[in-house]
Amino acid sequence: MIVIGMESSAHTFGVGVVEDGKVLSNEKAMYNIGSTGMIPGEVAKFHSENAADVFGRALESAGITSKEIEGVGYTMGPGLGPCLEVAQLSARTVAKRLGVRIVPVNHCAAHAEIARHYGKLADPIMLYVSGGNSQILALERKPYLHYSVVGETFDIGVGNMLDSFARRLRLRPAWGSSIEKHARGGKYIELPYTVKGMDFSFTGLATKATEMIGRAKISDLCFSIQETAFAALCEATERAMLLKNKKEIGICGGVAQNKKLKDMLREMGKEHGAVLGFAPDEFNADNGGMVAYLAERMLKEGIYCKITDCLIRQKYRVDAARLG
Amino acid sequence: MEGSEIIGIGAEAKLYTFKMFDVETVVKERLPKKYRAAALDLKIRKTRTKTEARIMFRLSRAGVRCPRIVALGRFSVYMEKVDGTLLKDKRITDREIAESAKILSRMHSLNVIHGDFTPANLISDGSTVYVIDFGLSEITQSDEEKAIDLLLMKRSIKADLYRIFEKEYAKSYSESKRILNRLKEVERRGRYQVRTLI
Repeated sequence: MIVIGMESSAHTFGVGVVEDGKVLSNEKAMYNIGSTGMIPGEVAKFHSENAADVFGRALESAGITSKEIEGVGYTMGPGLGPCLEVAQLSARTVAKRLGVRIVPVNHCAAHAEIARHYGKLADPIMLYVSGGNSQILALERKPYLHYSVVGETFDIGVGNMLDSFARRLRLRPAWGSSIEKHARGGKYIELPYTVKGMDFSFTGLATKATEMIGRAKISDLCFSIQETAFAALCEATERAMLLKNKKEIGICGGVAQNKKLKDMLREMGKEHGAVLGFAPDEFNADNGGMVAYLAERMLKEGIYCKITDCLIRQKYRVDAARLG
Repeated sequence: MEGSEIIGIGAEAKLYTFKMFDVETVVKERLPKKYRAAALDLKIRKTRTKTEARIMFRLSRAGVRCPRIVALGRFSVYMEKVDGTLLKDKRITDREIAESAKILSRMHSLNVIHGDFTPANLISDGSTVYVIDFGLSEITQSDEEKAIDLLLMKRSIKADLYRIFEKEYAKSYSESKRILNRLKEVERRGRYQVRTLI
């Protein structure tokens, strides 16, 4: 079966092509956030201008023609309304034109499932970390395949926190990578560390670290903010893993590209004989490939939607998404 | 250690039995975590051990059913042994969940929050329920923190059990109305509003 997937929940418009679980192509166009962050209307405009081109590139590099498409998946949510609408409308147009089935996909579930696929994980505890989200998910098989939320941030996502801080330092923000670079050789300074059971919070940490700009060395601040935030994530994941009796750890989402966080999780897992699995970076950043991958699986399970019911849900929770 | 037996390795500590002056004690020793920076690791382990001991002492004195402290080390708390089964490892009865609610209401009336009040930290010996693991406990008057204690329990048990839990909590704690209202607020504020019960 050949299925395409479309993604536009935030700054990336992506189209991917999948055939029987294998990703044939994964093309994207990314809006340049610059120093302003995202203005939803502007980003949506960027997506609509690039949609046709990305779609064409995805088919071309997959080596298929549109006639071979047997199903279309798109990101239903969560995400920014105006942005989500672009992939949704594109997907509806393609599905209608080709007369094929259409599958609304949960963005977070797509990240988690593609990580499970590439990481070869059967039954993981999944740390989903991106700009807007930070959640600890557990794979559940009853009453049907879905993810439950075991823990999550009380306020902002860890990526957003690191990137905002990077912006304050006038560094180029991207999934905490600039902080990671500047953290080298830094020493630990005490900053607020907030873990409540399996939930965590980052605003106190961000505020304190921002206050200290100018009063402490940049490398020390970068090292400490990253160390504190990631230690909190590791601790919460560790606790969730033991509570859920899981033996595998997965990590997905934009911040999963951060090497330091992966190293810490791997180290944590070692103590419990648990392995760490994740997808290649192109699938941790937002992309259409993961949407296509999950859409194909859902189609095969008979989960799809009437085209008129294919709307967007800005606040679509991952635990409300049925996957199989 | 001689004569000691490891009874469990938790997320942050090792538990082992230790005979001290013929009294069977359980030692909770916080282990270093290699994944975090040494300075942060030291700070977390030291403050948590100290806070835990202080809180357990306060609770025991007030008659809350938790292990009594026998001795204190730098990263270790020595406490009386409690026999029984963790609620997470058994089918929780209505009476046990009601008992748990009474414990939490008593703790909250003493301005102690647990920080991880789930079936993984409650032990039943068949007739009595005990609360353990005060590693994330704090002494605070904050309604918010108390509401989060309830939220953690709400997310860890089935909806019908939680209803019993909340009813008993409401009955036994004079400030419960305010805390339960706060819980609603916390849940509303929780990202994307709805959080499904398991």
